[in-house]
Amino acid sequence: MRFPYGPAALSMLILSILSGAWLALNPIPPKKATLVMWTFAKTHYDAYKQAIPSFEAKHPGVKVDLQLVSWQAVTSRLQAAFLSDLDVPDLVEVEISAAGSFFRGPLKDVGFRDLTDRIKQSGLYDRMVQARFAPYTSRGRIFGLPHDVHPVMIAYRRDIFDQLGIDVNKIQTWDDFIAVGRKVTIPGKRYMLELPDSESSRFEPLLYQRGGGLFDPQGNCTMDNEIAVQTMLFYVPLVAGPNRIASDLGGGQIFTRAVEDGYFLCMIAPDWRSKTIEVDVPKMRGKMALMPLPAVYPGGRRTSTWGGTMIGITKHCKYPDLAWELALHLYLNKDDLAQRFRDTNILPALKEAWDHPAYDEPRPYWSNQPIGRLYAKLAPDVPFQYTSPFVATAKGKLSEALVACVQYYKQNGDKGFEEFVRKRLKQSADEVRRLMRRNPY
Amino acid sequence: MATRPTDISLSPARAVPTSRWFVLQYKMAPYLFVSPFLILFAIFGAYPIVKSLILAFYVTNGPKSAVFVGLQNFIFLLSDDDFHKAVWNTAVFAFWSVFLQLPLSLGLALLLNSRWVRGRELLRLAFFSPNLLGQVFVGVLFSVLFIPQYGLVNRFLHFIAGVPLDTKWLANPNLVMPALVLTSLWMYVGFNMIYFLAALQAVDKDLYEAATVDGANAWHQFWAVTLPGIKPVAVFVLVMSTIGSFQLFELPWIMLNNSAGPDQAGLTIVMYLYQTGFVTGDLGYASTVGWTLALGVLIISLFQMRVTGAWKGGD
Amino acid sequence: MKTFYRVVRILVNLFLLAFAALTLTPMVWLLAATLKSPDDLFSYTFFAPRISTFNFRDLFSTVPFHRYMINSVFVASTMVIVQLFFSSLAGFALAKYDFKGKKPIMILMLSTMMLPSQVLMAPLYELIYRLGLVDSYAGLIVPGAVSVFGIFLFRQSILQVPDELLHAARIDGCSEFRIYWDIVMPVSRPMIGAFCLISFMGTWNSFLWPQIILHKTERFTLPIALNQLVGLYQQQYGTLMAGTFLSVLPVIILFMLLQKEFIAGLTAGAVKG
Repeated sequence: MRFPYGPAALSMLILSILSGAWLALNPIPPKKATLVMWTFAKTHYDAYKQAIPSFEAKHPGVKVDLQLVSWQAVTSRLQAAFLSDLDVPDLVEVEISAAGSFFRGPLKDVGFRDLTDRIKQSGLYDRMVQARFAPYTSRGRIFGLPHDVHPVMIAYRRDIFDQLGIDVNKIQTWDDFIAVGRKVTIPGKRYMLELPDSESSRFEPLLYQRGGGLFDPQGNCTMDNEIAVQTMLFYVPLVAGPNRIASDLGGGQIFTRAVEDGYFLCMIAPDWRSKTIEVDVPKMRGKMALMPLPAVYPGGRRTSTWGGTMIGITKHCKYPDLAWELALHLYLNKDDLAQRFRDTNILPALKEAWDHPAYDEPRPYWSNQPIGRLYAKLAPDVPFQYTSPFVATAKGKLSEALVACVQYYKQNGDKGFEEFVRKRLKQSADEVRRLMRRNPY
Repeated sequence: MATRPTDISLSPARAVPTSRWFVLQYKMAPYLFVSPFLILFAIFGAYPIVKSLILAFYVTNGPKSAVFVGLQNFIFLLSDDDFHKAVWNTAVFAFWSVFLQLPLSLGLALLLNSRWVRGRELLRLAFFSPNLLGQVFVGVLFSVLFIPQYGLVNRFLHFIAGVPLDTKWLANPNLVMPALVLTSLWMYVGFNMIYFLAALQAVDKDLYEAATVDGANAWHQFWAVTLPGIKPVAVFVLVMSTIGSFQLFELPWIMLNNSAGPDQAGLTIVMYLYQTGFVTGDLGYASTVGWTLALGVLIISLFQMRVTGAWKGGD
Repeated sequence: MKTFYRVVRILVNLFLLAFAALTLTPMVWLLAATLKSPDDLFSYTFFAPRISTFNFRDLFSTVPFHRYMINSVFVASTMVIVQLFFSSLAGFALAKYDFKGKKPIMILMLSTMMLPSQVLMAPLYELIYRLGLVDSYAGLIVPGAVSVFGIFLFRQSILQVPDELLHAARIDGCSEFRIYWDIVMPVSRPMIGAFCLISFMGTWNSFLWPQIILHKTERFTLPIALNQLVGLYQQQYGTLMAGTFLSVLPVIILFMLLQKEFIAGLTAGAVKG
């Protein structure tokens, strides 16, 4: 018998039945795990995969299900999970700039457990770098354990620096750095530094270096204070105008090619990014090196911080004690941390862990520098950064201000620039403040 | 209802069965047939409409907690720079979609409809093909095509027009919108062309002949015969593509890596709605934004139909 | 005059050819990119001399991509069947019957077509949440089971079916549903073909609603899965392109099979209405 409704309907029917049958025969395996944990970084995922078996061995019958969730999706998926009470993981690693958005609403509605007492009672508050608790604290309560410190250095093409006869020991301040940069930059071909002119991810570390920030400890927006103005006046001429020494192309394979081609000589490099560079630009092995961030004034702070991760336990979690133990297992085991440092270059927030010899090992990629020691030396100087539920908005507004200032500077140069920067930063900050006032919680 | 029995016996020659069951099923049939639509509409259409009207007066933290704020949401909307930016971006996109895309589509359709063209079917297929790719997939593809230094777009434009290779389409706030417009041009020119082509083919051939006899030149013919002939379709395409432009979301969201892009240059109204409602969790304000969008779309569509209708009246 | 027309003719053809080539270029590049090894990706503008299957192997080894494809096929084809049935049924009623409330229903339908669906997203999500349909395919399919656009299309095409045909069937004692099932639908085969593709494409490409509704990665449809892939493997352009290629391929194949009916169906509503 012929099918009377045409080939299209017939094929749809067949497809529907076949795929339906396949899905019925291959159901999603039910999760039998005791603890479900999400992480968004591939490097963390690989490291924890190795660390979890020993935890499971210590706790017979306990099964940990580790899931890798894309960085862009983790915030919205976690938010959706919290809002609908469905598939909420027990432990989550949250990125530093996303953390604040989970602290919206009354404290009792925050999806994460308050870890303040556990952290204070176990002495962890003093054993870890204190500055790193700030981004995960809201209204005095701590909702996450810091994974890292992320001190910032500068990664540079050592081979080209040698060829050009640049002595990095003579680069002490940003003024020194800029003077060298002007000499070596060839517009369109070679730039001293990689800095974006359209978003604020690298403006922020330079703001923190000067002791500034988006918010103060009370959660007030401070992105238009004098420090922010000075940072902007410093940053914009680096990326725009006739004397620019910085440019930016993007990430991934474009970045790889740009570094290989010597398009950038220097990059702002927190510990995690030193690993990204190793992975993305493997051909530069032995040709790269690290130096401390130039200071704002002689003798000033030679580092800053960029990025970060916390681990939090959700209120949904049925075994909070076990989850807390897993968090400690992942974040405090000195030998594991040392191995993880070898794999990821990330300096843990636990200060006593830095004694391990792993941090003194010379790294061939970085011209045999002991990069662990270099980062650890800077770690105590890492500045505080405070957060707010409005941190994502504030970052967006800061980027907008940066873009506007860059545009102004391109058109008008120094003329009236300082006045414009003040006005523009205030405008952005006021927008954040207005949003904050609207919040009924 | 009184007219029904006469309906059923259209031709009196042979009568339809008159059993009670037969008459009943005949009478009930249309109601049964539209009932799935009506039931689903009541649950998933009418209820959400009412609910979202109510929600527009609340600030919420997900579906679980809500605080009544009266008209605050609407008042805030008036001074919300992000919303204004979203409206501006969306309007700019819609403007270019209409004024760049439609003439191009019409031009292509006219050329394709001319008797000189060979391989019309294949060409039509080629022009239409991008529309088969969904916005998400196009977004992923073009986010790679637009990369600086090594991307295809820059290589091509560098080759033909000397555009700098390191032009950062998706990282430069001034270039995000052109990149979006260009991409949507690629996606939809052929799609709209299909409509114009079908309309052109439906225009009465005799009218052209009459015009030729009257000594009208090609330009004249276009204004006197072609344009009035395709007007209903043109209005349809105009309204539909405007409505479509106002719902822009996936393309920029994917191309800009799940964000509004540098300086929020790719923020659209629906993206803002999604962010406030489903990332921040304020379903209330999201509803306020949604209703403002609906109202805007309605006004613009009515305006377009009015203007194009008036144009006909003056003809 | 004759040479003038010949020149114009050549120019028009050349222009259209060039435009077609330009239109197809991104798709050719996509195909080429999937067949290049990561090292060759940016070294060759289009095809590299060595063909590599690395991207496809990488794609299927990093994520259960076959599962995403089957998920998408299931959701899209099931949606087509459901929409096809309900929409054609309603379209038939509106085309061939006079009944009380027909006018209001038509007006209702027209106005829902004007209302951007995103307006209802927030309360619809809340409703789906309360019905316990979050993270299920029912949450995707049930709210969209009737397509208003589909009703219009079918009403449009069923209007052309001669009344005598239906009447003759009634004389033979056919019930109204039998008339729909045995006479009207087989006659509407071209429109069924067009609608299948329109509806399939709509569901296949839809992103926002599945993104909100689906939680478990194993349940993801292709657009969400691909978006997730962009986040996780941003560096691997080749792998991403392989995923994109496999995501668009089924629709292209379907279109190749149904293109005549599709274009006729697409324009039917606009040209005749």
